[in-house]
Amino acid sequence: MKALPASFGAVAAAAALAAPFVLERGTLNDLWSLALGVILASAWNLLGGFAGQVSLGYSAFLGIGAYTTALLSLRGVHPFLTLPLGALLAALFSIVIGLPAFRLRGPYFTIATIGVGEAVRVSAASVSFTGGSGGLRMPAGSFDFQLNYYSMVVLAILSVVLAAAVRSSAFGHALAAIRQDIDGAEALGVHSTRFKLAAHALSAAVVALAGSLYAINFQYIAPGSVFDFRLSLSIVLMPIVGGVGTVAGPVLGALVFSTLQIKLLAVPALRDAYLLLYGGLLILVMLYEPKGLVGLWRRLVARARSAGSVRGPEVSDAG
Amino acid sequence: MPELVSVAVNSLLAAGLYATMAYGLAVIYGVMRIINLAHAGLMMLGAYVTFTLFDRFGLDPFVGLALTGPLFFLLGVALHRLVGRRLARSGAGPSMESLLLTFGVWLVLQNLAYYVWSGDTQSILTGYTLKSVAILGVRVGVPSLLVFGASAVSLVFLNVLLRTTYLGKAIRAVTQNRDAALLSGVDADRISATAFGLGTAFAGLAGGMLSTLYAFTPDFGRSFLLKAFCIIVLGGMESVTGVAVGALVLAILENGLAVYTSVPTSFQDAVSFTLLFLALVAFPQGLPGLFSRFARRGALH
Amino acid sequence: MPAEPLLSVRDLSKRFGGLLALDGVHFEVARGEIFGVIGPNGAGKTTLFACLTGSLPPTRGEIRFLGARIDGLTSPAVVARGLVRTHQIVRPFREMTVEDNVSVGAHFGAGRRRGADARRRVREILERTGLAPRATISAGTLTIGELKRLEIARALATEPTAICLDEVMGGLNPSEIVGAMALIRSIRDAGVTVLMIEHHVHAVVGVSDRILVLNFGQRIAEGPPREIVRDPEVVAAYLGDDSVPVRADG
Repeated sequence: MKALPASFGAVAAAAALAAPFVLERGTLNDLWSLALGVILASAWNLLGGFAGQVSLGYSAFLGIGAYTTALLSLRGVHPFLTLPLGALLAALFSIVIGLPAFRLRGPYFTIATIGVGEAVRVSAASVSFTGGSGGLRMPAGSFDFQLNYYSMVVLAILSVVLAAAVRSSAFGHALAAIRQDIDGAEALGVHSTRFKLAAHALSAAVVALAGSLYAINFQYIAPGSVFDFRLSLSIVLMPIVGGVGTVAGPVLGALVFSTLQIKLLAVPALRDAYLLLYGGLLILVMLYEPKGLVGLWRRLVARARSAGSVRGPEVSDAG
Repeated sequence: MPELVSVAVNSLLAAGLYATMAYGLAVIYGVMRIINLAHAGLMMLGAYVTFTLFDRFGLDPFVGLALTGPLFFLLGVALHRLVGRRLARSGAGPSMESLLLTFGVWLVLQNLAYYVWSGDTQSILTGYTLKSVAILGVRVGVPSLLVFGASAVSLVFLNVLLRTTYLGKAIRAVTQNRDAALLSGVDADRISATAFGLGTAFAGLAGGMLSTLYAFTPDFGRSFLLKAFCIIVLGGMESVTGVAVGALVLAILENGLAVYTSVPTSFQDAVSFTLLFLALVAFPQGLPGLFSRFARRGALH
Repeated sequence: MPAEPLLSVRDLSKRFGGLLALDGVHFEVARGEIFGVIGPNGAGKTTLFACLTGSLPPTRGEIRFLGARIDGLTSPAVVARGLVRTHQIVRPFREMTVEDNVSVGAHFGAGRRRGADARRRVREILERTGLAPRATISAGTLTIGELKRLEIARALATEPTAICLDEVMGGLNPSEIVGAMALIRSIRDAGVTVLMIEHHVHAVVGVSDRILVLNFGQRIAEGPPREIVRDPEVVAAYLGDDSVPVRADG
């Protein structure tokens, strides 16, 4: 069951890398957005899916990456050189937030992250150092779409590979244990807070890298765009719809989202219906298939299997 | 000295509204262990309904509250049938699914509002909106005073309801000790429906009141939702008094900050959110055993 | 014979609001012993284990393990020092396979194994606890007997110096109980000191070197099984209790 998605993934990655030779700019832009979605969804999933700690404040990390890049570029640093610093700052911030916040369980942690995300957004909009609510514009010149496209696609591939590597590692097992039974995990020696902080920092760093690339590509950032709550929301919805806690889930979710968004934008009457879309999807997923598309797929496969064989105890594919 | 009086008066007035707002959230959580993020959307809806009654039918917003309350109660019961029932888990603590699901409902409500009322900022302007009155030397807007009055009436009414009717007592019982209450024959479904109805009604009332004080858009409600959480954490949700106390504490802190420090108003929300964050994290014991926030220091199993 | 006991507990108390679950409990466990803990329902036995292993902080008292104080440490810290517990109500990681469940203990317990070394260790433990045939099965589909063995397997994977077994025989039929007693003896024979809470008093009496008796959070007796079954206070504590009557011949 795992070899299949892996080979699909390899084909998709190759296709994405070859795309600029074949497709036109408009489609490449869409692919760039899709890659962004894949990165954000996969990164979020490290903490939210694997470890089960749902944070609704991830736009803060995207913003930190974007603003670090913008601010340093405006001071003469080459944009791509700012990436590591943005990632580091986001990781540090995630630890500062995480140390108190991870003492909270489940939904309470989530509520706390809403508060943090909002506080960061409001602060960024109120402080002149970050350009206030007007935002920042990247220094002119040196916009290279092909470079931007490739960096985003490479980062997307790396994010998925990272997720797969974490999932099958001891680290990943610890996260899964934490998600299923945190007290039980601690009773076996897992320092749950350390692992949560590590997953948080890792995912924050990846999201910040995406944020830096975002700034480089869009050339203009503002608190309303990079620190937006709706962004935090879509970052969460993609892996949930696709299948939280799996490697393929975030990718599928990003795909579904990108496609729906493109379709929505094409129909003028539906342009503002994205909230309905997000909300409706959330409701449907939570009511009928909390494990998302991947969960749905596995259920169907299991049903097809047992339909052909004698009724026995259900053996689930615990991969 | 006059500043102190100003803080006191303004806090008291704000506390009434905050308590109304927070109670709606508290009762649903207390009875069903559901964190109802749609509360924000329901408040927003309450604001819009009050606005429509005013705009279309010329109904004074405060009179309109008398209609909004019962209307939203029915809406709450309907919502419970549609969505709430599937959410009600047995006492094992709130689930992420319920959080995300109510979140989805909130988003849908927002979009509906965009369609029906458009995204333009609305506000209610009556003959007395801009008038003010002096109380203990502090200038207070008439709407604020009326909001306080309406809140006080609703909360007193609620308190009477909770203490004298069967359903009211059952709600208090389930909030304090769910298993014991259910064992003694309380009808879980009816109680949940009532709780949902009450919670929605108070959301609608709060929204209606907010509409007389603030301009609003469909996006309205998030900062108030976070304040409501803050209040519940501070004051508990087992009684109307607890909620009122939490509301007062938050209001005093906000007004105190506004008056005594030079924190700009745009920052005030950030302050409330940080306060929520700290409140959630910093209160281990001490607060009436509500959210069991803490990790290993909790139950045996 | 080492003078210093492996585990020594002094004046251990635990209060939950108005309820005093443990009241001045004291006892010692020597290395290599099988130490039984019995008492009527609500006597505080599980609370005791929870305090020993860091799941709960004691209100008062001192716990020394391998000479160092461990009261107040968190569970992971206590596990790292070689003391681990199982849970009365089993709590497997239901969405993980049996071997993945056990590997959590192997990776993060006192042994801190990795890679092939960890896998080997996991396989050993699965063999010993009879779970090898179910290794790749999802833990959520095991029977209660298998789940109890999984609890033990996970704890053993942490390579403890001492293990606290909480009612591992609960819900087992007589032949399974015999198997469990043999497993417990083999754990001790492999060098791990065993503390065990049990309601099946005759099983505890049959396998323990010494027994602690708790009632209402207080220690009412401690000693070899032969003395315990004759102790009038112990007998009185069990009068009217539904558990199996204590027999002198174990």
